[in-house]
Amino acid sequence: MSGPGDSVVVAERPTGGHPRPYLFPPFERVVLANGLKVLSVHLPGRPLVSAQLVYLNGAADEPAAEAGSTVLSARALTEGTDRYDAIALVEATERLGAGLHADASWDAYSVGIEVPASRLAPTLDLLVEVVAHPTFPEPEVERIRDERLNDILQARADARRRADEAFAATIYRDDSPYHRPSAGNTSTVALLDRERLQRAWTRGLDPARTTLVVAGDLTGLDVARLAEDLMAGWSRAEGALEPGPIGARPTKGGRRLRLVDKPGAPQTEIRVGHVGLPRGIPDFHAVSVLGAILGGLFNSRLNMKLREEKGYTYGAHAGWDLRRAPGPFSARAAVNTEVTAAALSDLTAELERIRSERVTDAELRAARDFLIGVFPLRFETPGPIVQALSGMVIHGLPDDELTTYRDRIEAVSAADVLAAARAHLDLEKASAVLVGDAAVVASSLEVVGFGPVEVIRDSEELVEA
Amino acid sequence: MALGAVKSRSDEGATAATIGCVSIPMVEFTDERLANGLRLIIAEDHLAPVVAVNIWYGVGSKHEVPGKTGFAHLFEHVMFQGSRNVGKAEHIALVQAAGGTMNGTTWLDRTNYFETMPSHQLELAIWLEADRMGTLLDALSQENLDNQREVVKNEKRWSYDNRPYGSWSEKLQGHLYPPEHPYHHPTIGSMEDLDAASVEDVSAFFRTYYAPNNAVLSLVGDVDPVAARAWAERYFGGIPPNPAIPPLGDTSLPPILGEERREVVEDRVPLPRIFFGFRAPALGDERLDAIDVATQVLAGGKGSRLHRRLVRDDRIAQDVVGFSLGFVAGASIWAGWATVRPGVPLERVESVFLEELERLVREPVTADELARAQALIETEELGALQRVEERADRLSMYASLFDEPGLINEMLGRFLSVTPERIQAVAGEVFRADNRVVMTYVPSLPPVEAVSEDETPSAHVAIDEEEVDADVESGGEEDAA
Repeated sequence: MSGPGDSVVVAERPTGGHPRPYLFPPFERVVLANGLKVLSVHLPGRPLVSAQLVYLNGAADEPAAEAGSTVLSARALTEGTDRYDAIALVEATERLGAGLHADASWDAYSVGIEVPASRLAPTLDLLVEVVAHPTFPEPEVERIRDERLNDILQARADARRRADEAFAATIYRDDSPYHRPSAGNTSTVALLDRERLQRAWTRGLDPARTTLVVAGDLTGLDVARLAEDLMAGWSRAEGALEPGPIGARPTKGGRRLRLVDKPGAPQTEIRVGHVGLPRGIPDFHAVSVLGAILGGLFNSRLNMKLREEKGYTYGAHAGWDLRRAPGPFSARAAVNTEVTAAALSDLTAELERIRSERVTDAELRAARDFLIGVFPLRFETPGPIVQALSGMVIHGLPDDELTTYRDRIEAVSAADVLAAARAHLDLEKASAVLVGDAAVVASSLEVVGFGPVEVIRDSEELVEA
Repeated sequence: MALGAVKSRSDEGATAATIGCVSIPMVEFTDERLANGLRLIIAEDHLAPVVAVNIWYGVGSKHEVPGKTGFAHLFEHVMFQGSRNVGKAEHIALVQAAGGTMNGTTWLDRTNYFETMPSHQLELAIWLEADRMGTLLDALSQENLDNQREVVKNEKRWSYDNRPYGSWSEKLQGHLYPPEHPYHHPTIGSMEDLDAASVEDVSAFFRTYYAPNNAVLSLVGDVDPVAARAWAERYFGGIPPNPAIPPLGDTSLPPILGEERREVVEDRVPLPRIFFGFRAPALGDERLDAIDVATQVLAGGKGSRLHRRLVRDDRIAQDVVGFSLGFVAGASIWAGWATVRPGVPLERVESVFLEELERLVREPVTADELARAQALIETEELGALQRVEERADRLSMYASLFDEPGLINEMLGRFLSVTPERIQAVAGEVFRADNRVVMTYVPSLPPVEAVSEDETPSAHVAIDEEEVDADVESGGEEDAA
């Protein structure tokens, strides 16, 4: 073959110019007479506006007997209002070229829209109709409940979902909401009806605990005025409840090794970890840098070891799911079946190593520079800005949380990272949950050091620790 | 550009009176070639301190020959293993340390690599792309190839082999394209062929296809075009072209399959799922625009025909999906599926699904359905094009596949000009019994009990739409991050 001649390239690496100054875009806050807060961000040149109402009412706030009611009530919220049935509502939304969605997470409930700025006002009308007059029609509630029950079946066949759920059920005590899936288990979902869903929705209906967040090119739009006209008349609903404390206690003992059998599986899904941290921690920035170095960056310790050195996996990651109460810390990878024990050993060795000595200067610099540098990229468009401000509201963070983020990341030292690792990682408390082919991998796992292997066969026994 | 106003019907929504025009900003760009043939496209947008770097190589899995499937994608992994002045995994380390994000993807028609950078780090990304285009083979080793071969095999296990219904796309391609056609095999390839890939294969592939005259480099965002042009020239200018890039053979196909093909697949799934596939007009053909608008009417969310019938009204399906996968060589794919609720006869779901396809042929979509579909497409375009990364990818795509980057400003108008008559006509060409594949995935596990009687705890998450999005939007096999 007549290949090309030799390339002449420049060996010298560019060093980069001067960064353009960047600040997280400023927001305006207006508090309506009923206590409802409006945060708006004017972003010139961003004609697709994102807006959402945030209610401090999440799946973690529901009674255990009604598990799944909050997530399912969000799915049912847009299924009908006093003025519209589900189809009429969808059609009215679509005619505006708008998206309208309701979601519930562990921490909060959100009902939002995305629409070109020129149609913001009529779309806000629809949003208000949905939240002010939902009807939760019984036939649609039944359908959504049945869809969830079927989805529970589907999840059991999906190794990733099975691993995530078995991991949560293993590390959290069964009186913690985090023990279960946020959309509920079969036994609770089967009991959900219109009243329970309505109750889950109503729990958050207190304007003093509700925030409207809007971002986009708001030229010519008076968002505060629009909100005043549409929302100032709201009052606290009967049945609204202040969120109480969330139980997030770990199971006793830790260091369990559970293997959910998936005969013939070509890979093993691995989760290792323990109950982690809430968002409201003083060393959030050190934990962010720690997570990046351990399992967040592509060149993280876990990914470099398990993927780039060993070829065991397509990707290995670790991190904290920071919730209002302590969410899980997990390290995770899907590895080919034959190397399961070796991969699990390598993974736990990295968890141990990062708390035994300081990270290198190069690692620290790379992680800090990434988090600082990528920050403006994350907030290029209105949607992620609304999400970030909503997070600030949900977790009760100070107004300067986002504007001070980069300086605070810059200030994290190797000693801070080591202190965070020692405070927040503890292999003695960690459990390992695997989904894989027990006939091939079970006997090899004893050597990894978690103690005896508990094999769970879905056809016979289920994880409900 | 002028876009149609979308009017609401007056009966339903007192809230939805007359709606104003949405204007999607025109993407202005320059388009030129370096002496070695590298196509350089630059579009300025200084709103955010962010710049996208995107390079498309005119090589995809359709260029693979039998026995070497999966090679284009394996090669893409090797592109992150270092070059003359960049160490193993250092490409990604440098981009991330500069505050950037990056990835590469391989698909049937192409391979792309992209970085989104803080704008003051643009030069670094250009240098990195040039170093590997020019000198990849300096760093190629058996060890790196073996390592990435294992990574790719784990990617295949993770994305396909260990997923419920995971074999559907490979099977569908196998049915819709004949064995001699380069779309017959999946981009991820086969384990055997991956095992057989050698360092010599990698070298030959690189020398053949990774040449500046087979690439488009797009720079979009907060960029000074004078500086960017100088950097492109400085870093890429010394890379020689390959004057002998072999043309792809004849990829033409009959527009229809010529028969109905059916397959029943046993899989470890609790619920049956029926997949439908059709040969569709090639990407770039205006008839595919009409199919895409029709797909919005048919399967675009909760107001769509299929969702209403199967999920909401008849309640015989758990979920329903429809989408097109656009390809330039011969024919695209239209695909859809419905997951069957427990206890429901499969034939019933199949016949309702097909009935809705046939209704598109039988009668025109209503003016209101079309207006809603087009309003949503308009908003989607507005959303997609607000990101510099998407704009850069589209400029590279239209330049690479059609030699016409200006299509970035024309596609929305094309979607908005689709009429009910055009939808009906092309639906008649595509949604025919002798042009379809029906694959039914059935549980190999013992049958599940009816929903409300089952006491088994477990999980949640709708995998369907996310997975489709991942395939459609990221276009195939992703790599790095």
